[in-house]
Amino acid sequence: MRIIDKVAGPFSRIGERGYFAADIVRALPDWRTYGRETVRQMRNVGVDSVPLTIIVAAFIGAVTAFQTRYQLFGGVQLSVVGLISRQSIILELGPLLTALVLTGRVGARITAELGTMRVTEQIDALETLAYDPIAYLVVPRVLAAIIMLPILTVFADAVGVGMAFLTSIVATDILPSDFMAGLQLAFAPFQIVYSLIKATVFGAAIAFFCSYEGYNASAGAEGVGRSTATAVVITSVAILVLDAVTALLLAPYLQA
Amino acid sequence: MRKTRDDILVGVVIILGLLTAIVGSLWLARGGLSKGYPIYAKFAWGAGLKTGAPVWVSGAAVGYVADVNFEPDGTLLTQLRITSSQPIPKESPASVVPNGIFGDVAVNFTPKATGAKYVEGDTVVSGPASAGIAQLTAKADSITTSVAALTSAMNKELVAGGGLADLRMTLAGTNKLIGQLSAIAATQSTQLTETMTSLRRATSSIDSVKIDSTLSNLRTASGNMTSLTRSLDSTGRALNQIVAKVDSGNGSAAKLLNDPALFNDMHALLGRMDSLVADIKKNPKRYINVKVF
Repeated sequence: MRIIDKVAGPFSRIGERGYFAADIVRALPDWRTYGRETVRQMRNVGVDSVPLTIIVAAFIGAVTAFQTRYQLFGGVQLSVVGLISRQSIILELGPLLTALVLTGRVGARITAELGTMRVTEQIDALETLAYDPIAYLVVPRVLAAIIMLPILTVFADAVGVGMAFLTSIVATDILPSDFMAGLQLAFAPFQIVYSLIKATVFGAAIAFFCSYEGYNASAGAEGVGRSTATAVVITSVAILVLDAVTALLLAPYLQA
Repeated sequence: MRKTRDDILVGVVIILGLLTAIVGSLWLARGGLSKGYPIYAKFAWGAGLKTGAPVWVSGAAVGYVADVNFEPDGTLLTQLRITSSQPIPKESPASVVPNGIFGDVAVNFTPKATGAKYVEGDTVVSGPASAGIAQLTAKADSITTSVAALTSAMNKELVAGGGLADLRMTLAGTNKLIGQLSAIAATQSTQLTETMTSLRRATSSIDSVKIDSTLSNLRTASGNMTSLTRSLDSTGRALNQIVAKVDSGNGSAAKLLNDPALFNDMHALLGRMDSLVADIKKNPKRYINVKVF
């Protein structure tokens, strides 16, 4: 019996998340329930995360440019630093690291909030009052993350590239014109779209996995803590897997 | 009130994000927010041009490649967007030039002092394409292939085929031969020294006075021979003249030799002499009458 449980366990967990996703989709038409709450969650998820996003992106940009410059061997034109910084930050580091950082800040918060509501039976109370807890609690968070992650990623990309530029001209021997030449070389607007698609997928993943873990928390305060840790781990791994999947699916379209 | 503030903050952040995305994309794609003006150039297929590649005038950036289209006539119709206010002299040819070692290219104008300048919509003069990294790499590849083939052949001949061992043996044999030749040369040198010493001794023993008198005699004999030759020559000429006279039939000797009547007369005379001698033998007393007293 235990062997059957162990074998069926992963499929069961996937199935439960599938039902949860179906509940979210089913709740989408009920916009009157989640409309105002969504704006509040967008403030929590997006606006309040802007400073953290900018700080992380600034350091990513600076380190990327600095390390790229000192990896170049003699004879390589220095404009390559601008090109590599742009491609690294916009295509990969901007969306990925923003999502990972927000997994800790926003995802953990979502799990803890919903988990506390679950273990204190507030969610049960909503059901008793004929509120759909999915529509009232989960959908706003999912929508807020889906909308605000791309916005935060745009800020991360801009700040990252800007800091890469500043670091290059202040801390290395690269001329502004060289950096700008590389920055603008072979740019296609789809690169921005690619970054935003990744951010959207990551936002959905953060909100979905973290909401699920919080919504299904149990066993009191300890259970909430465990659910929060599990949510952060699962979401982080899911983001990396989704990063690889989106790259496999979309990278061919990046060919200029 | 609280919710209104949230709405405003969220709206501001979203608008800022969208503006950043749009303006950033335009700035990266156009090389700045200046729209610039387009001019057009045609290059051969395979020039390696990409949108966003820089456009230079003598190496100074003035714009970027905005669009690249394949034309069925084997050319790339390229839209160059000039964002700089610096004018590009008309008739200045545009060439695709390498930009770094990673195969990137740029479009470079070589300015000509014509006075006029390119304006929006002009088609520029295409200059010669310079060898790009791809061509250089292809050349290097072919050289590498040749070197690899050569190395393989040498490996086959020298290592697998035992050529290296043969070479080593040949070198050893050559070394041995050189040693032997050195020994022979040393011996020959000694003998040569002795021969030279003997020759020097013999040379010193020769009396130079005798050699001088012998040479003087030889010189005299030679002079005599010369005069003798001259005499023989004049004699020959005289004989030739005589023979010529004889041949010509003039003179007594010539007539003697050449006149057949004389010959007949002589022949008849000899006949009569023979008869006379015979008669004298037969009748000596008729002709010889000896009286003592």
